[in-house]
Amino acid sequence: MDRAVHLDGITKRFPGVVANDNVTLEVERGGVHALLGENGAGKTTLMNVLYGLYEPTEGRVVVDGTEREFDAPADAIDAGIGMIHQHFMLVDPMTVTENITLGNEPRKWGGLAVDRATAREEVQELSDRYGFAVDPDATIADVSVGVQQRVEILKALYRGADTLILDEPTAVLTPQEVDELFAVFEELTDAGKTIIFITHKLGEAMTAADDITVLRDGKGVATVPAAETTRESLAEMMVGREVLMDTSDRPHDPGAETLRVEGVSVTDDRGVPAVDDVSFSVREGEIFGIAGVDGNGQAELIEAITGLRDPSSGRIDFEGEDIGSWSRRDRIDAGMAYVPEDRHERGLVMEFDLTESGILGSQHGEPFTSNGRIDWDVARDHASNIVETYDVRPPDIGAKSAALSGGNQQKFIVGREFERDPSLFVAAHPTRGVDIGSTEFIHERLFALRDDGDGVLVVSSKLDEVQLLADRLAVIHDGTLMAVVDPDDVTEEELGLLMAGERPARQLESQRVDGGEP
Amino acid sequence: MSARDRIERALTRLVTASATERLAISLAALFASILVGTVLILGAGRITECATATFVLTHPTPFGLPRLFELGFCYNPVTVYDRLFLGALGDPLSAGWDPFGRQMALTLRETTVLLFTGLGVAVAFRAGIFNIGAQGQLVVGSLASALAVLQVAPLVGGAPGTAVSLTVGLAVGALGGGLYAAIPGLLKAYADANEVITTIMLNFIATGVVGYLVLNHVKDPDSFATQTRTIPDHANFPTILFEPTANFSVIALAVGVVLVGVIYYLLAHTAFGYDVRTSGLQPEAAEYGGVDAKRTIVASFGLSGALAGIGGALYALMILGKFQTGVPSYGFDGITVSILAGNNPLGVGFAAFLFGILKSGAGVVNFATEVPPQLVATLRGLIILFVAMPEFFRLLGGRMKGVQRRLGRESDGGETDA
Repeated sequence: MDRAVHLDGITKRFPGVVANDNVTLEVERGGVHALLGENGAGKTTLMNVLYGLYEPTEGRVVVDGTEREFDAPADAIDAGIGMIHQHFMLVDPMTVTENITLGNEPRKWGGLAVDRATAREEVQELSDRYGFAVDPDATIADVSVGVQQRVEILKALYRGADTLILDEPTAVLTPQEVDELFAVFEELTDAGKTIIFITHKLGEAMTAADDITVLRDGKGVATVPAAETTRESLAEMMVGREVLMDTSDRPHDPGAETLRVEGVSVTDDRGVPAVDDVSFSVREGEIFGIAGVDGNGQAELIEAITGLRDPSSGRIDFEGEDIGSWSRRDRIDAGMAYVPEDRHERGLVMEFDLTESGILGSQHGEPFTSNGRIDWDVARDHASNIVETYDVRPPDIGAKSAALSGGNQQKFIVGREFERDPSLFVAAHPTRGVDIGSTEFIHERLFALRDDGDGVLVVSSKLDEVQLLADRLAVIHDGTLMAVVDPDDVTEEELGLLMAGERPARQLESQRVDGGEP
Repeated sequence: MSARDRIERALTRLVTASATERLAISLAALFASILVGTVLILGAGRITECATATFVLTHPTPFGLPRLFELGFCYNPVTVYDRLFLGALGDPLSAGWDPFGRQMALTLRETTVLLFTGLGVAVAFRAGIFNIGAQGQLVVGSLASALAVLQVAPLVGGAPGTAVSLTVGLAVGALGGGLYAAIPGLLKAYADANEVITTIMLNFIATGVVGYLVLNHVKDPDSFATQTRTIPDHANFPTILFEPTANFSVIALAVGVVLVGVIYYLLAHTAFGYDVRTSGLQPEAAEYGGVDAKRTIVASFGLSGALAGIGGALYALMILGKFQTGVPSYGFDGITVSILAGNNPLGVGFAAFLFGILKSGAGVVNFATEVPPQLVATLRGLIILFVAMPEFFRLLGGRMKGVQRRLGRESDGGETDA
């Protein structure tokens, strides 16, 4: 086998954590290799070792048959490794050509000036060779996320990469863009390039990859050819036990409106309108989903509902009362739970231990506080209870919030919000970064809340998740609700079109936006 | 390994240091500052001219060979540091040590005032606010307290009079400082005005307005100094236990120690303290947790100013027995005390004591040696700089991406998903 990359027995330890434990990865030249695992399984750490961001504690890195020691990404780039991070590193006001050649510009006049004409030619030639259809003169800010991703790939190729690492490349894409990305993979491998991509989505690994390596708890479980495996066996390898794929049953019997949003417009931090005249309602005993590509106003809309942002116009009613003038604390006290989109910024205080983070939002009321004094014993019991019930690891309530992996931080926040016993549960990406087993558990709890007659509002860019959870599903694009649809009666392609701001051929708006009695 | 790697590795080590290690680091820093200071003293002693050298360095002559050199220095570093530290404590190693003597009292007097300003600055820091205005708040609190006691003291005499006057004095000092600090608090909360700028400006305003008031309205007509009338003796802090001429009252120190405990309790065990700490560490999380950001800013500013104001009350009621313009820079030193203590209320006690030693010790050095006061001030600065630096680098390191990466905090940073 001709190996482009061979990671041999890689171990990477951080203080108190073994992120990679003797992992071996062999990647065949000219193939697509998926690195599959739950969050915190050590996928990104392993790739950061290959890209020179981390020095391995033990083990060898072999590229093209030569053992290498990378001190920095620059060394890895020299060895023909390119990495495309999930968050693009592009300069928005600059053109595609400028971004691709940045730092490696062709020179003229003895190195004194950038040879723009040659740069443009080279980029055009590179783009044509792989059939990318990228306009070299377009400004980054003007092109879609999918094109930006291709620019990142071109940037790596321009620097001479033979092996491309992509970290969760599909996270920011619509379903159509995902298909296009996988077509790009084929073009690249046909040209002899090697691709390693990180994912925790089984379907993607099965579709796009030739070989799949599964990581669990920092250890390599197995490497299998995609053609010879099944979703079930992959899921079992990831989780370490048999997983029942979620099935949806909808005893949809909603009651009165618990949340009503009427003509709400919200501006973002820069004062630019982000949400434009949105109306909908969530009823008791109902899960209302909002799907959309990140950055289409869902974050601002949720913040307006939960009291973190003042809407510029419109009216929000909670249990029949206009809550426009209510403070964030009033809304918490009235029974509104909220899983925020950004767990590092908002959901947890990173320097606090879990006991302290566990009472965030409840620090003023019973049972934790009486007469202004916090009873830390009660708080500790509370944190222990969350950690135990929601399988937060490590199960140490004295650990700093920052010390937990992202998925475990998320489980802790979700647990804390469930424990509020809310009458309205607002969740932005409730299972973001959470492993399959815990995702299943969180979904069950959301269903249980609904079945108890509480209202649930879920925002997610994971289509399969909102489709599974929601009783009614709204699609948001560019600050407006495109449609509210029946999630069982809509295809992923139709949702993708709506998320991209286009109307599918079939009439979908089967339900009234305000969700009134049929 | 690149230089950057080395730096990141060293900072990571510092950030993860345990409490014992940090104490050891502080002691090592103190020792290092003394070494550097010794070189300075010797250097300065070489370039100065003096009749007799107080410190002589000779070449050892083991085999009866002639001496190669004999170097004389005008200043003896051993004497300087001996006076600076042991002198400040009233010579604890000598047989006739009086722990309640004048020098010890002077050290504790400085410690007491700095305890309050340091505590005030620390409270603000914990709320994410940089209160540079402690000096102004102290000045306002000091005058307010002196004026209030001048009114109250003649009404009640004797021991009850002392109790009433001191209670009123401390309360009015706290109120004055607190209200004055509420101004930058309100400006920050409701007009988004940067507190660093407003508090610096309010320091000037405080000094100017207080000077005007004293000179034109409440001046002691029998004195040439810009000062108020003298507070009756029974309304001053009683100088029990300690040498009375040093103007130190152990009661004031006791109040300070109690307040250290109160502030510690407030921050660690109350909902208000939780709000303050959350706002200071992560304002977005505080907002999410329903903390009223504006109220918390104003309240913590007020509390910070009240503590500085009590320091001002002590300056009037314990040290001077009146209010006089030209207040020493207790407020600014409070900033350094707070940083030295890592903004920890319990640490403020120790930092204030170190400052007290250095302040009163400097006087002893000036008295006992020929070393110029400028050099003594430099030596003090060196000690503070060296002891504060590890804390500074810890703060810096905690914010550096490379260090966070090494700690594994970002090990899953790439794995958000859609």
